[in-house]
Amino acid sequence: MVIIPATTGQMGVLPGHVSTIAELKPGVLSVHEGNDVIKYFVSSGFAFIHANSFTDIIAVEAVPLDKIDANQVQKGLAEFTQKFNSATTDLEKAEAQIGVEVHSALSFALSG
Amino acid sequence: MASNAAMPFWRAAGMTYITYSNICANLVRNCLKEPHKSEALSREKVHFSVSKWTDGKPEKPS
Repeated sequence: MVIIPATTGQMGVLPGHVSTIAELKPGVLSVHEGNDVIKYFVSSGFAFIHANSFTDIIAVEAVPLDKIDANQVQKGLAEFTQKFNSATTDLEKAEAQIGVEVHSALSFALSG
Repeated sequence: MASNAAMPFWRAAGMTYITYSNICANLVRNCLKEPHKSEALSREKVHFSVSKWTDGKPEKPS
């Protein structure tokens, strides 16, 4: 079973899942095989679940959790929260909000 | 398309999906441990030079 971080929430995919295209948000993708779990952090992207029980994950960046630097994540979260509070234009606010979203997801991934 | 409701915040601010996705990817790359960080940043580096063409001849590239 694979749990994917869809924009609509955590989604579990088992063999025989109905064909779906899901947009992914920054979050943890976990692959469960028996008792083994392998987790990856996905920066954003899509998941294509095909009728033949193959699922493709399309992401620009997907990293195993142990490659993430916790200090950088905390620094980034503080920096973007600050940027969000001081943002003026819509674009600045959106960029800062993306920063907060990604770093919060990273932080959550490391703590989970 | 349908109404403007329930649009993601980045699209409401005028950003395209690909801009959003690339920003997310860069943020994740910046939070990697070394040596993975420098590998990722060098992997995504793009080299390009731009040259204007006039009268069928290229000028010096900028």
